[in-house]
Amino acid sequence: MVKFTSEELRRIMDYKHNIRNMSVIAHVDHGKSTLTDSLVAAAGIIAQEVAGDVRMTDTRADEAERGITIKSTGISLYYEMTDASLKSFTGARDGNEYLINLIDSPGHVDFSSEVTAALRITDGALVVVDCIEGVCVQTETVLRQALGERIRPVLTVNKMDRCFLELQVDGEEAYQTFSRVIENANVIMATYEDPLLGDVQVYPEKGTVAFSAGLHGWAFTLTNFAKMYASKFGVDESKMMERLWGENFFDPATRKWTTKNTGSATCKRGFVQFCYEPIKQIIATCMNDQKDKLWPMLQKLGVQMKNDEKELVAKPLMKRVMQTWLPASTALLEMMIFHLPSPHTAQRYRVENLYEGPLDDKYANAIRNCDPNGPLMLYVSKMIPASDKGRFFAFGRVFAGKVSTGMKVRIMGPNFVPGEKKDLYVKSVQRTVIWMGKRQETVEDVPCGNTVAMVGLDQFITKNATLTNESEVDAHPIRAMKFSVSPVVRVAVQCKVASDLPKLVEGLKRLSKSDPMVVCSMEESGQHIVAGAGELHIEICLKDLQDDFMGGAEIIKSDPVVSFRETVCERSSRTVMSKSPNKHNRLYMEARPMEDGLAEAIDDGRIGPRDDPKIRSKILAEEFGWDKDLAKKIWAFGPETTGPNMVVDMCKGVQYLNEIKDSVVAGFQWASKEGPLCEENMRGICFEVCDVVLHSDAIHRGGGQVIPTARRVIYASQITAKPRLLEPVYMVEIQAPEGALGGIYSVLNQKRGHVFEEMQRPGTPLYNIKAYLPVVESFGFSAQLRAATSGQAFPQSVFDHWDMMASDPLELGTQASTLVAEIRKRKGLKEQMTPLSDFEDKL
Amino acid sequence: MELEFESRYDINRTAEFIISKSFTRIALQFPDELLKDSTKVVSALKSKTRLLTDREVRFFVMADTTYGSCCIDEVGALHIDAECVVHYGQTCLSPTSALPAFFVFGKASINISSCVKHLVDYASKSDKPIMILYGLEYAHVIPHIREELGLSETESQLKFSVANVLCSFISPSKDPRESMEHPRPYSDSLSSSRNYRLGGLTWDLLEGSKIEDYLLFWIGSDNSAFANVVLTFNGCDIVRYDAEEDSLVTEFHQQRRILMRRYYLVEKAKDANIIGILVGTLGVAGYLHMIHHMQALISAAGKKSYILAMGRPNPAKLANFPECDVFIYISCAQTALLDSKEFMSPVITPFEANLAFSRGSEWTGEYLMQFQDVINSVKLESEAHSESEEPRFSFFQGGYVEDHKRNDQAKNGEEDAGETMALARTAEKALQLKEKDHNSLTKQTAAKSGPEYFLSRAYRGLEINSDNTLPEAYIVGRSGKASGYRHE
Repeated sequence: MVKFTSEELRRIMDYKHNIRNMSVIAHVDHGKSTLTDSLVAAAGIIAQEVAGDVRMTDTRADEAERGITIKSTGISLYYEMTDASLKSFTGARDGNEYLINLIDSPGHVDFSSEVTAALRITDGALVVVDCIEGVCVQTETVLRQALGERIRPVLTVNKMDRCFLELQVDGEEAYQTFSRVIENANVIMATYEDPLLGDVQVYPEKGTVAFSAGLHGWAFTLTNFAKMYASKFGVDESKMMERLWGENFFDPATRKWTTKNTGSATCKRGFVQFCYEPIKQIIATCMNDQKDKLWPMLQKLGVQMKNDEKELVAKPLMKRVMQTWLPASTALLEMMIFHLPSPHTAQRYRVENLYEGPLDDKYANAIRNCDPNGPLMLYVSKMIPASDKGRFFAFGRVFAGKVSTGMKVRIMGPNFVPGEKKDLYVKSVQRTVIWMGKRQETVEDVPCGNTVAMVGLDQFITKNATLTNESEVDAHPIRAMKFSVSPVVRVAVQCKVASDLPKLVEGLKRLSKSDPMVVCSMEESGQHIVAGAGELHIEICLKDLQDDFMGGAEIIKSDPVVSFRETVCERSSRTVMSKSPNKHNRLYMEARPMEDGLAEAIDDGRIGPRDDPKIRSKILAEEFGWDKDLAKKIWAFGPETTGPNMVVDMCKGVQYLNEIKDSVVAGFQWASKEGPLCEENMRGICFEVCDVVLHSDAIHRGGGQVIPTARRVIYASQITAKPRLLEPVYMVEIQAPEGALGGIYSVLNQKRGHVFEEMQRPGTPLYNIKAYLPVVESFGFSAQLRAATSGQAFPQSVFDHWDMMASDPLELGTQASTLVAEIRKRKGLKEQMTPLSDFEDKL
Repeated sequence: MELEFESRYDINRTAEFIISKSFTRIALQFPDELLKDSTKVVSALKSKTRLLTDREVRFFVMADTTYGSCCIDEVGALHIDAECVVHYGQTCLSPTSALPAFFVFGKASINISSCVKHLVDYASKSDKPIMILYGLEYAHVIPHIREELGLSETESQLKFSVANVLCSFISPSKDPRESMEHPRPYSDSLSSSRNYRLGGLTWDLLEGSKIEDYLLFWIGSDNSAFANVVLTFNGCDIVRYDAEEDSLVTEFHQQRRILMRRYYLVEKAKDANIIGILVGTLGVAGYLHMIHHMQALISAAGKKSYILAMGRPNPAKLANFPECDVFIYISCAQTALLDSKEFMSPVITPFEANLAFSRGSEWTGEYLMQFQDVINSVKLESEAHSESEEPRFSFFQGGYVEDHKRNDQAKNGEEDAGETMALARTAEKALQLKEKDHNSLTKQTAAKSGPEYFLSRAYRGLEINSDNTLPEAYIVGRSGKASGYRHE
């Protein structure tokens, strides 16, 4: 631990070349937090006054209990490089002191929104991979996300201790495993060719891969060993490093390097000969308690042990020895300092991803140059609950300028549109705060390139916002974060005592602030809904809600509710017609399913209402086979004007048609939000207005006549087009040994899941299974799976797609119709669907 | 037969009432379902009055009222210069503002002994006291029920209490203010008991007891009067005795759901920018006061309101105002609850509007229907809540939203003054913008006033920028019915 006063810390924050903002990302249970702990123990900054009595990594009780990280936590580290080790560093620097702002993020998919928020405010990422389990689904997801944000990665192959103690693999086998892990990671990274970011792949021989044992607190990069051997072999370090990885073999008998295994018994790979074997030997000696052998070896390596440490035996001894010889903090921190970019370097290329406005205005330039004297550009990525209940710190990163206590800032919320006043506030920052361990220290100001927490803005920021100076009215906001998961699991919450309702409302408000992903909303029936990414996420959220945000007032939660979508699978069997209430107007419509992939394209925003019509019709014509002219006749997307349904005008020569367009669109927005089956949103339906007969007097074809009619005719056309329900489906990835496969398959079968990929992880007895599982069936899935495989299988589920339910909801007794009845009952609707005859009229 | 008819329509009592007040022009108001009997009633009344007085008494039948048939149609009655209105059928007994009114509730048939048996059975299951409430059409049997229960007219046993009918005659109060104060006139003087009034019933609770301590027993059908009771006393256990089915109904999921649903509508209303005030009554005392109150409330919340008078609202009528995000329906308590999926925008009551538009007010489960209560409750609240600066959290947008004009109001007060100028200015701005978003499919942002909404429409009807300032030649319009004009 490094003891600091806030003034000292504040001083380093000005050296923008010597700051590294980085996050630690990995699959769940690959050892992020443990590794972080060992870094913090060595280099964590704590306030001078409290040193000694506070544990830095002391986080939430439930995190400790479950053994997983739930919230991402930021910690600052201080590291002073020696001149010698900085010799080969070519980048810009201000002295030898380095400040590393590190964010430990959760690995469970349910909390990947926390990772997203962490990545936004960092420039580099330490990717942790279990050397045995290798690259897993979440490693891949977060890695992709990091690269999407132009975050440069470095890799550490973790849990090395398992190789030596648990599995006892020999050198060559271990090498193969490690190189496969690195290769797998590189395969993902290689797909992100980005000229500005350069080559993002990692290479052990370049020092961008470390090998670590988080649990035992040691780690090394090839640099460590290269330094050791360089003088011995009389070659320079970089040359030595190359020899320590890849197809380089050494035969001690001949003292010769070759690029092929000569086949002689003593010929071994460089890595095995010079890195793996020595470690193995030391560990073995420690574990076998051969102290007489150990001390000379250590002396040779230049490792000094304290007297009392020499008394230790077996594992504690091994741990101590390894920590002294190859301290994790040195290896990892030096790797970060050497290979991860400073804010100054990173913002140069990240500005394009970050800034929404024109890339040549002064705000873009200030971000690009990380200019502390430029206008303030600050992105608040998350809200952190403060110790006094109910208040929040706004936590974020200063990209340009400085933020200071008492400063008046413009807060641009996620719905802010430049030039308008919507979602815009001007408020003053009460205090700017930096974290020193668990303690918050107020500082005068925080310059760009650093992370900061602010007090006094929580009432105006829900989840994220862009802050700038009060006077900078032309600034555009920083782009909103894109999450890789979506809140598909919903539960209804209610308070036990009716008069606690205000407490519940307040609690939900706070909950939605404290978590980037959770959505608190309301059902038509008046129930409050909490939506999250998964079962675990919801569980944690509700616990927070009840204990922290509602002061322990009791709540009742419903079983998880899954939202469905309504769609059609054929074109309407006939053109349907509805008459307006006054019978003077008639609308004719047909519904048809959208082309495959079109709904997804709308979801992704590739096609949407804001597109240039030319580009839109080009995409529609080229990818989806639309007629070019037809593409210009899209009236609207819906629901909410952006949803994956459309109304298209197919009429020819209808008088006054332009007059009723607004009304038809209004009716469509309304109808597409609540479909006729069970008032769920529609999805993937294209409604075609075939013909319209209107009264010749404007007064008789007003909105009052047309809007309800448009809604009815849309319902009628959907009902005649073989309506179907869409259910959300998870992609589940499970990793388990062969013996557990039977159990996994049987549980999946019970739950209507199906496996679409099964692969043995090369070099391990582990299998990787990918399956689709309906979200409805997923509740209790983990528990059942654990039971069926005696705890050997652990699933990770992410929402993947909407799947059409084959059965006809209009036919009595089918699965879909039962489901529709259930949903209608829950929503308090009439159990019987409104019949077609109520929507369709006869001439 | 004749006798039954006379008693059902209270011919004798009505005639006596008319004579005693010496009215000569009487309006008889019938709901649609009783209209078929109107001529018989008129002739019966005529012959009755002729016996009692030599003055000529004229009767007028009013039907098809503009608003709910439970309220007195005072405007209709004033057309014929009536001195008094006799109202038949179901009523809300809302106080009138100009005319005296006499109410004939009608007499629905009921099996008294079976009702009492259900009542006693139910009472034996619980040790809570029971409050008996009823639909006014059953008021005539209440004395019998009391008798059966062994209660005397005046004293009530601890176990059962029976509500009284407020009165069957209402005279208007000149000052709306006075009628405002009127709901709890003697609750102050008799501070030992609390007085309740709802839907024409009145009852007192014993000292130190709350309505939540009682079980409510409702005699009558599942109509809007009952829905009111369920909503207002949502904290109580309620059972309903259905006289027609002769059965006890204890399941009220649907009614409980109404409360949740109303809560949803309140939250929804909070997000509204433009509010339509629907005038749903021209008779209930205090309606004007209420309209003004609503207007003030809405503008204080930084929103825009429009007053719309359209008789009984239906989906087609309301859809003619798609710019309104929510409607407030100002009407008597029994017609106020309009909730149908057919409406594009929600319709809420003044009480709910109060919750929605006054910042800081929270719903505690209490529900008020009468104008007087609503206004009184606001008076109390407005002092209690200071304005907080915090923006409002919206459950529909999942974040904080600022209610716009709130801040602007202070700054550009002058701007608001010239509404018409504002329209012209925004029109100008929109025309400049129009070129650019000609083909855009999005509505930029939610409109904050009617003109803004209008400008966001693709079709606007009139040519605003016509250069031709000369008057057009007049032409003969069309004639005939909309379904086919004469020239077509």
